Amino acid sequence: MSDPGSGLAVEVRGLTRVFDAVPALDGVDLEIPRGAVFGLLGPNGAGKTTTVRILNGVLDPTRVDVLRVLGQDLPQGADLVRPQVGVQTDTNLYDRLSARANLSLFARFYGLAKKAADQRADELLDMFGLLPRAAERVEKFSKGMKQKLLIARSLVGAPSLVYLDEPTAGLDPEASHELMSYIRTVSRAQHTTFFITSHRLDEMEDVCTKVAVLAGGVIRAQGSPAAVARAAVPRVRVHVTPAPGVRIAPGELLALPGATHAESLDGYIAVDLRSVRAVPEFVRAAAALPHDLLGVADVPPTLQEAYLALVGSQPGAPDPAPDTAAQTGTEVAS
Amino acid sequence: MIRFSRIRALLAKDLAETFSTAQIVMPLIIVPLVVVVGYPVAFLLAIKAAPDAANGLKDFIGSFPASAVPAIPGLTAAGRAAYIGVVYLFSGFFLIVPVMFSTVIAANSFAGEKERRTLEGLLYTPLTDGELVLGKIAASFLPAVGFAWVCFGIYTVIVDVLGAPLVGQVFFPTMNWWALMFLLVPAVALFVISVVVMISTRARGFQEANAIGGSIVLPIIGVVAAQASGVMVLSAGVVAAIALAFVLLDVLLLSVIVGAFNRSKVVSYLP
Ligand SMILES: Nc1ncnc2c1ncn2[C@@H]1O[C@H](COP(=O)(O)OP(=O)(O)OP(=O)(O)O)[C@@H](O)[C@H]1O
Ligand SMILES: [Mg+2]
Repeated sequence: MSDPGSGLAVEVRGLTRVFDAVPALDGVDLEIPRGAVFGLLGPNGAGKTTTVRILNGVLDPTRVDVLRVLGQDLPQGADLVRPQVGVQTDTNLYDRLSARANLSLFARFYGLAKKAADQRADELLDMFGLLPRAAERVEKFSKGMKQKLLIARSLVGAPSLVYLDEPTAGLDPEASHELMSYIRTVSRAQHTTFFITSHRLDEMEDVCTKVAVLAGGVIRAQGSPAAVARAAVPRVRVHVTPAPGVRIAPGELLALPGATHAESLDGYIAVDLRSVRAVPEFVRAAAALPHDLLGVADVPPTLQEAYLALVGSQPGAPDPAPDTAAQTGTEVAS
Repeated sequence: MIRFSRIRALLAKDLAETFSTAQIVMPLIIVPLVVVVGYPVAFLLAIKAAPDAANGLKDFIGSFPASAVPAIPGLTAAGRAAYIGVVYLFSGFFLIVPVMFSTVIAANSFAGEKERRTLEGLLYTPLTDGELVLGKIAASFLPAVGFAWVCFGIYTVIVDVLGAPLVGQVFFPTMNWWALMFLLVPAVALFVISVVVMISTRARGFQEANAIGGSIVLPIIGVVAAQASGVMVLSAGVVAAIALAFVLLDVLLLSVIVGAFNRSKVVSYLP
C-alpha cells in the first residue's frame, strides 16, 4: 500500500495553515524517517496539534507543496493511510461505555471481527494495567487512567505510524517511564514510527531519534536531539573533576588555553571553552597541571537549553548563535 | 468503498450510548405511545358508548368518498365511523412518530459527539466518510422505524379488539396500511433523518442542531402527515408510488450528504 521506495514516514514541505487571517503554521518542512521516534516541541499555541490534524487529513492546509504520509499524498490518499495510523490527541472517550467497549469499538474500525477486537482490547488493557477495571464505565476513571486508555486506543490497529499528542500529560512518573520504554522497544523491534508532541523535554531527549522545535508556526531547528542542542547552544562545556582531597581554584583552569569561563560547583569545576576545537588542547593542559584529576568530561548542551534558546529567540530578536543553522530551520546533521 | 461490519460497529456504539441513558429515551418513547394508544382507545370507546353519536359524525364520514370503506354487510353508521377513524384519521400519526423519535437522535449524531469531544477521535479512524455518515444515519433510522413498527403492532391489537365488534369483522391492517408502514414510513423517516444528520455535521452543538433540524423538519412533516388521510383513501398503490418517490429522493440526498461531508469542516467547528 505504501511506497516502499521512500524511507520517509512523513514528508512535509511548505505547510501553511491560516486561522482567521493569522497563520498558525507558516511554511513548515518536516522529514521523518520510518522507524524514527520524532518529537515535535514547541510552546503552547505553537501549532503542534494543528500539525497532527493536518497530517491525518482531518484539517485542510491553507497551502502546502508536499504533504506525504506513508508514501501517500494527502488528502487523496487519506483512506489508504488511516488504517496504518493510530492517533491520540486531547479528546474524550465514550464515557457511557466500558473501557473494553471503547477499545474494542476502535479495533473494529480497524477491521477486526468482534471477538478478535475484544481480545485486542484486553491485551492493551492488560498492558496499561487497566484489565481489572475493563468492564467499568469510563466516566468513573481518573484523568491518568483515561489518558492511558486514549493511548491504548491509538494502538489497537497495530499501526505503523503512531501520533501521540502530549501522551504523558496526566500520567504518573512510572507510567510515563513505561510508555517511553514501550515506544523505544516497539520502534526498534517493529520499525514503528512515532510522532510525539510534548513539553517534557527530558523525556523527549531520551526517547527521540529526531526532534523539531516549532515556535510561532515556524520550525526553528530539526535533527537529532544532540545535534539540535549543539547547534542552538553555542557554548562548549567540560567538567573537570579533581581527585578526592585535591583543591583546584577555578582561576587556574580559566588561565588555560581556550577557557572563557570557570566556576566551582559541587565536587567539580565547570569550564566553558571557546569552541569544540579548543577542547583537546585544554584537556592536555589540564592534565599537565600539578593536580590529581578523576577526569575531564565533555558536557554537551541539553535539549532543554536548546529549546529555551530557540523559543526565546523570536524572529527579529538578537541572534544568540550567529554561526549555527538552527534559527533558519535548516536541517542539522547528527 | 463501504464496509458494513464497520458501520455495524458504529451503529451498535451509538445505540448503546443512546439507550444507556433513560432520560434521553423515555420521553421519546412515552409521548408517541400515549398518542398511539390513547387516541384510538378514546375514539373507539366513545363510539361504542354512544353509537348514536356517530350520526353527529356525519360530516366527518361524509368528507370521505364511499369507496373509502369496503362493502361490509350490515355496517352501521357507528361501524363506518370506526373504520374511517382507524384506517384514515390516525394514519398521519404513524408518519410523525418515527420523525419525533429520531429527530433528537439524529440531531445528536455528529453535534453531540462534537459537544462531548469524542468526534475528533472518530475522524482519525479508518472509517470512510460514507461509513461515518451512513452509520450515523442508521443509528437514528433503525430505532425510529423499529419503534414505529412496535407502535403499529400495538395499534393493530387495540383497534381490532375494540373496533371489530363495531365494524362487524377483523378489518385491520388494510392493504394501504402495509404500504404505509413498510414503504412510506421508512422512506419518509430516512429523508427526515438524513436532513437532520446533515445539519448535525455543521452545527456547533446538539441544541443548535435540534433547533435548526426541528424548524426545518416539522413544517415538512406537518404537510406530509396532513395529507396522509387523503393519500390513504386513494389506494395502497398510490402510497407505494409516493414511497418510491421518497426513496429516489433519499438516494439523491444521501449521495449529496456523503459527498459534501468534509472532516476538515467538522473539525474547524470543534469547540
Ligand atoms: N479551529 C481553530 N480555529 C481557530 N484557531 C485555531 C483553531 N485551532 C487552532 N487554532 C490556533 O492555532 C494556533 C495553534 O494551535 P495548536 O492547538 O496547534 O497549538 P499547540 O502547539 O498544540 O498548543 P498546546 O501546546 O497548547 O497544545 C493557536 O493560536 C490556536 O489558537
Ligand atoms: Mg496541542
